[in-house]
Amino acid sequence: MANSGPGGSRRFSRRSVLRFGTAGLGAVAASRVLAACGSPGAGRAANEIVFASAQFTGSVSLRAYVDAYNASQSKYKVTFRPLPPPSSSTEVHQQLVQSLGRQDGSVDVFTQDVIWIAEFAGAGWAQPLDTMISEAERAEYFPGLVQACTYQGKFTALPLYVDAGMLYYRTDLLSSAGLAVPKTWPDLVAAASRLQQADRVPYGYLWQGKQAEVLVCDLVEMIGSAGGRILSEDGQSVLIDQPAAVSAVEFMADTINRYRVSPGDVLSWDEEPSRTPFTGGRAAFLRNWTYVYNVAQNAQQSQVVGKVGVAPLPAFPGGQSSACLGGYQLGMNSSSTKKDGALDFMRWLSSQTQQLNLARDLSLAPTRQAAYESAELKQTNPFMVSLRDVLIGGTPRPITPKYAQVSLALQSGVSKALSSGDVVGSLRATKAQIEQALT
Amino acid sequence: MTVLLEAGAPRTAAPHRRPTLGKHREVLAGLALLAPTLLCVLAVSLYPVVRTFALSLRDTDLAGQQSEYIGLHNFAELLDDATFLGAWLQTVGFTAVSTALETVLGFVIALVIHQSFRGRGLVRAAVLVPWAIPTVVTSKMFGFLFNGDNGVVNYLLVHLHLIGSNVNFVGDPHTALATIVLADVWKTTPFMALLILAGLQTVSPTLLEAAKIDGASAWTTFWRVTLPIVAPALLIAALLRALDAFRIFDLPYVLTGGGPASSTMTLSLYAYQRTFNALQLGYGSAVSTAMFLTEIAIAAGFAVFLVRRFRAMEV
Repeated sequence: MANSGPGGSRRFSRRSVLRFGTAGLGAVAASRVLAACGSPGAGRAANEIVFASAQFTGSVSLRAYVDAYNASQSKYKVTFRPLPPPSSSTEVHQQLVQSLGRQDGSVDVFTQDVIWIAEFAGAGWAQPLDTMISEAERAEYFPGLVQACTYQGKFTALPLYVDAGMLYYRTDLLSSAGLAVPKTWPDLVAAASRLQQADRVPYGYLWQGKQAEVLVCDLVEMIGSAGGRILSEDGQSVLIDQPAAVSAVEFMADTINRYRVSPGDVLSWDEEPSRTPFTGGRAAFLRNWTYVYNVAQNAQQSQVVGKVGVAPLPAFPGGQSSACLGGYQLGMNSSSTKKDGALDFMRWLSSQTQQLNLARDLSLAPTRQAAYESAELKQTNPFMVSLRDVLIGGTPRPITPKYAQVSLALQSGVSKALSSGDVVGSLRATKAQIEQALT
Repeated sequence: MTVLLEAGAPRTAAPHRRPTLGKHREVLAGLALLAPTLLCVLAVSLYPVVRTFALSLRDTDLAGQQSEYIGLHNFAELLDDATFLGAWLQTVGFTAVSTALETVLGFVIALVIHQSFRGRGLVRAAVLVPWAIPTVVTSKMFGFLFNGDNGVVNYLLVHLHLIGSNVNFVGDPHTALATIVLADVWKTTPFMALLILAGLQTVSPTLLEAAKIDGASAWTTFWRVTLPIVAPALLIAALLRALDAFRIFDLPYVLTGGGPASSTMTLSLYAYQRTFNALQLGYGSAVSTAMFLTEIAIAAGFAVFLVRRFRAMEV
């Protein structure tokens, strides 16, 4: 070192660092490429099951459940591959499609939103479970959910948890004004206006009108409670321009412009922006999912702890309350080479015990009928038991493998109807777009 | 074939065969050296374009498991697609307005920070801050600022009696796109200022001095000396900005999701939704191809200006 001089030594060391560095990087890259080129099963133990799931969070993460399964038996070992949270369901969908579309069995078990069932089944990515899960076993779940998990006669998804749209209301405001929980939309408008006029709250009724998936959910509920549908039962004809649907969308626009119970802001709100004014004590009614219940009871996030009630959404006079069906199911990759292990894990995670644990730890509502009879659920989530009928009677969004396209058309078209006021014209244009997507 | 070969044989056996071979070798060596770079460029930039164009001629749909060649059918459908046409107009409008505003404002800022004053280094650095903030953060920030329920902008405007009641800036089709333009102008003007500042620094002080000696006012000096010299740099900066602005995706994706009433739907966002949400790889590629063609048209428009400018300078 002393002989070579400072400059020479530095140059030499820099060059050698570069050389070794590059060689190292190259080796890493090469090993990655080689690993990627190998068969998907390469590097996986024979009993390893890969479980790709949206990341549900609560007091405990889903990973803890995977660990518990692995500890409970020694035959299979499940590896948890976390996907984005369900609030980013579009991103979850994309990642799943990329894995499943390769049809290489790199994922064995996955979680799927209820709106993807038809798409995954139609593409042949989801393994039909009819022969694996007996009729008697299926009967343990709510029939409506089993039906939602069945596409063209094939049962391709095992219900994990269920969610539905519901009406949150302020018990303190209603009782002080001597108002009953509204059963019809006109009742809701009347109650909301009265509370607003009495200066009890600035906002009457909050919902979600952002050009996003949630708008389709709010739409399904409105149209359903008016006795209409978006697609006919066979999925062949589009009914979005029929009188029931038109009057439902007109009512949505009227809540803002005519009755003034909803602020114009709902047109740019999805779930969370609509939830915060409600739990901040500035609204009388809110349409949202189950998750709001626990947030509203949490004193750190809510100023209305103990003042929130939950009820089925109102209906139009003569109509029936309709709640948009949500929730996730378990699915098996049809190109999985480890179907026995995959099935064992799916059965375990969807069992009564684990569903009750999921309700306790992650506030996910069970899909098994017997779970609602258990004392445990009554203790951990009393509102789920009292809203059992809402949760299990959910109205599905249009069932078609082209759902994603139908949804994009509905989001754009209904957003246009709501902000332009031209409901009939916008819905007609939307109908044409959906028809084009379906052919 | 044989005849041809025989006829060709004497020629290759001619005396000047060796030098040709040598030249040949040199060319081959050159090509061999170029090949890695060329392959990289082809793989990274040409292949995606060609592949996207090829896909745009098919009805590839991952969910439907189909991929048939359908010629220009996707493009015919595009012309019938109100959302696409709206997105095209909005994207072109967004590009024109934001590029124009950013160029003018950037020029003004560049002129200011070109002057020498105390703390210039600090101001030059501070000007760049908006550009350094990630766009997702900018989007969220503007979402809070322009919130219709409790945003600062509404609070100020109402208290200054400029508006009667709160405006839902991102939820109203009349204001949503303008809000996005504003966010983009705030974010990207510093970038333009920086590029234009580089152009300003090429203006020789001797020219400005000469103008001063000739008795030209500051205004005349600016119009007759500075602006003509900076013009090419200005045009190139605007070209770069326009091509970039045309691809706008992150602001509407985070701020509005393309709504309300698809009034903030841009071509990138629409291509993304069709390709990755609806899994219509064919149709989505057609949207991307239409975008690509429009970008070429924009670049060509600027090129015409630039060529004219350079010719004028030569004369």
